Amino acid sequence: MDLVRDDDRPELEPPILQGLGQAVPQADPPLALRARVLASVAGASTLSPRRARSPVWPLATAASLALAAGLGLYTSQLLGRIGALEGDLRDARARANAAEQRAADALQSAAGTRIALAVLTAPDVARIDLAGQAPVAPRASARAFWSRSRGMVFTASNLPPLPAGRVYQVWVLTAQPAPLSAGLLAPDAQGSVNETFSTPPDIPQPVALAVTIEPAGGVPAPTGEKYLVGTVASRPA
Amino acid sequence: MWVLLAILGSPAASPESRQADRASLERIARGDHAAFAELYDRHARLVYSLALRILQERADAEDVVQEVFAQVWAQAARYDASRGAVAAWMLMLTRSRAIDRLRARRSRPEAAAEADDPESVVDLAAAQDIELLSAEQVTRLQRALAELPEAQRTALELAYYQGLTHAEAAARLGEPLGTVKTRIRQAVIKLRESLIE
Repeated sequence: MDLVRDDDRPELEPPILQGLGQAVPQADPPLALRARVLASVAGASTLSPRRARSPVWPLATAASLALAAGLGLYTSQLLGRIGALEGDLRDARARANAAEQRAADALQSAAGTRIALAVLTAPDVARIDLAGQAPVAPRASARAFWSRSRGMVFTASNLPPLPAGRVYQVWVLTAQPAPLSAGLLAPDAQGSVNETFSTPPDIPQPVALAVTIEPAGGVPAPTGEKYLVGTVASRPA
Repeated sequence: MWVLLAILGSPAASPESRQADRASLERIARGDHAAFAELYDRHARLVYSLALRILQERADAEDVVQEVFAQVWAQAARYDASRGAVAAWMLMLTRSRAIDRLRARRSRPEAAAEADDPESVVDLAAAQDIELLSAEQVTRLQRALAELPEAQRTALELAYYQGLTHAEAAARLGEPLGTVKTRIRQAVIKLRESLIE
């Protein structure tokens, strides 16, 4: 039997190997060693090859590592899914907001159309043609239909582009000295605009309409130059 | 001279002790701590003495004793009693572990824990047909050792108790490789003759 591992090691036959092991000076081990050795296997299985390191621990460690790796992968997948869901949610919110905006625009447009139709078909409707004022807006023109009970439809074209921070404001002129503000106009790039206004039914009888250019947001009383002016051409029946 | 001191109280095999060892091992395989303690009481001295002879340090020798008995505990269920004596197996484990520790200490002092794996050293597969020598055989062997020429005994001790290769022993002794091989071979022949007298 070869108990040595290296071919270059002397081969000692078993009896001599055993004999050399037995032939050493005999020494008593420390008493404390007995307790230590006995304690070292106190909690160990006889199938366990290790004294202080039970294979349970490597297995437990391996299991923990596998669990950690699995959790890490699962967490990563979850985070990915959460990220995708958040993206989807953002898209859905954006679509919902756009849809709400379109719906609001449609409702507003529908409301404007209803008002316009109501005004135009009102028995007390009056038409006011407005002319552009030289030299600021000689090509501009506008027409308004006013009903005391249903409001006013205002349409204009060829209005000059507004300077920054300025807005067109529509005024109702009555027998009273102070003009009443009907509302603001926001023309498109071509200077055209269609707008409907609600006017108080108890205002005095209008005699004319005017459009001035005012600071953004409008003002209580006209301050700017007149761009359009028109008098009431026909009275309600 | 340690060989002379060893003549007193040297361990030996007996049918009774061998049978007791087998019985203990069977009980140990079932997790019997009392049997383990009995085995320790019978052989701790044998194991400790060999470990101490090889390692020359009490603390290391104690560690080896603990490792050997832990391996016995762990592998008791796999031990085939027909293969050889339990004590002989334990001595083989002891030498293997002690020499591993010695090599680790020599080559990499910081890596002495290399020998800490019970599976890395001789296991049951190599424990076939090994028996303890009788008291008479041990005495004869000790006498033969004492009578060896110093150079032969030294070369043999380097090979057995330090696990050196022929080349390592030659380097240690500062002698030609062939000379060292011859000395070891001659020493083995004399020891063998002492056992068959």
